[in-house]
Amino acid sequence: MIFIGDILLYVLTGLACWWWTANMSAFGVAPNIVFMAALSAAILARPAKAMAYGFFFGVYLDILGSNILGAYALTYTLMAYAVYVLKRHFDLIGVFSQIIAALTLSALTMLFYQGLSLIFAKINPLDLKAFLVEPFLNAALAPFVFYLFARLKKGFNIL
Amino acid sequence: MNREKDMANYAFVFFVFLSALLLLFPSTRVAQTARIIASYSLYPSLHYGAKYDYYIRNVPENFLNLLKTDQENRALKSKIKELEISVKTARAAEAENQRLTGEMGLSRNLAFRGVWARVINKNPLDWYGSFFINKGAKAGITLNATVIGFETARLGLIGRVFEVYPDFSKVLLITNGASSVIGSVPGANFEGLAEGRGTWLLKVNYIPEGSDIAEGMELITSPSGLLFPPGLPVGRVARVHPKESFMNFITADVAPAISINSLKEVYVIKRDLPADLYGLSEGVKK
Repeated sequence: MIFIGDILLYVLTGLACWWWTANMSAFGVAPNIVFMAALSAAILARPAKAMAYGFFFGVYLDILGSNILGAYALTYTLMAYAVYVLKRHFDLIGVFSQIIAALTLSALTMLFYQGLSLIFAKINPLDLKAFLVEPFLNAALAPFVFYLFARLKKGFNIL
Repeated sequence: MNREKDMANYAFVFFVFLSALLLLFPSTRVAQTARIIASYSLYPSLHYGAKYDYYIRNVPENFLNLLKTDQENRALKSKIKELEISVKTARAAEAENQRLTGEMGLSRNLAFRGVWARVINKNPLDWYGSFFINKGAKAGITLNATVIGFETARLGLIGRVFEVYPDFSKVLLITNGASSVIGSVPGANFEGLAEGRGTWLLKVNYIPEGSDIAEGMELITSPSGLLFPPGLPVGRVARVHPKESFMNFITADVAPAISINSLKEVYVIKRDLPADLYGLSEGVKK
């Protein structure tokens, strides 16, 4: 029963990501809501749960896409662990630190995912346009998603 | 704190292992099963998401369409009401046209000259007593002129002109309590006096005892009456009352040939009455 809120949040996040990319993409580029959700969960949740969130959000993107299975799952699990390590040294609750973290981690996760795709499937899934624009979009919207997740945690004890 | 750190490390290793498993064995049964389960878990949500996205996206347009439809609906309802009124008016006009055509056809076959007049006023307190018509002295209406009416291709006596004004006249109906008509039954050798009673029925008095009067017989104006031309239908015998022990004649109820209730037009017969009948109505009024 305790996981119902988490499952609902997971499904709703996936739906929001799908809806945004389906309807709100501009020039083929859209912010990665699942990434922002995974980042926010990694900041707010306990480490084990944060990594579970990272893994399952990654699985969602893997399922939704047609690329290699498990690449996003591994990437976001690693990102969740990285955030777990980072938040012991930096304050990730502030808006500015979230923007910097989102910008950096977004670029790093994209590079990592690109690397995994090249190694395991020998394909190049990300174009340069997305690589140059998406981290900035993610960084701009990350504080809003974090605020929403923080309110959910406070109000419904989710995460 | 160490426990949490351990948990984090275990979780990290566990999920990395799972991810690696998915990456390294993408075509294995485990990986395929995981993908299929995940797909079945996610596709319904995407399906419903797409369904409600369609509705949400079309809300403004649907709302606009709803408003337009509502306006059209109101306009059409208003038009339907107008058309219903038009249809009713047309039906009334058609019925009136048919009625007038029938009446005109009958009046052409009449042996009398006369004037058509429209009933313009009926007094509810004197419904079977009198009414006004829209023709008066200017149209050649004279006192005591016979007034006949038409109903479904038949004519009948209505009454006589009682008061004459320049532009309208008052008609005293045969059903008025002060009105009486000498009537006879065609082919029979008796006469009776049909008197108004202020109701829809006339009462015929002074029918000789032993007369062969029966219900359903038609009563017409008698040639012996000076006021009305002979042969005009007055009504039909509705009921014959048996002779009372103290009277030496029988009586009968007669239903007028023309129903006063549905009367809209009348025909006022112009004919030369005996000179002494011209002052009769004034005498009655006094």
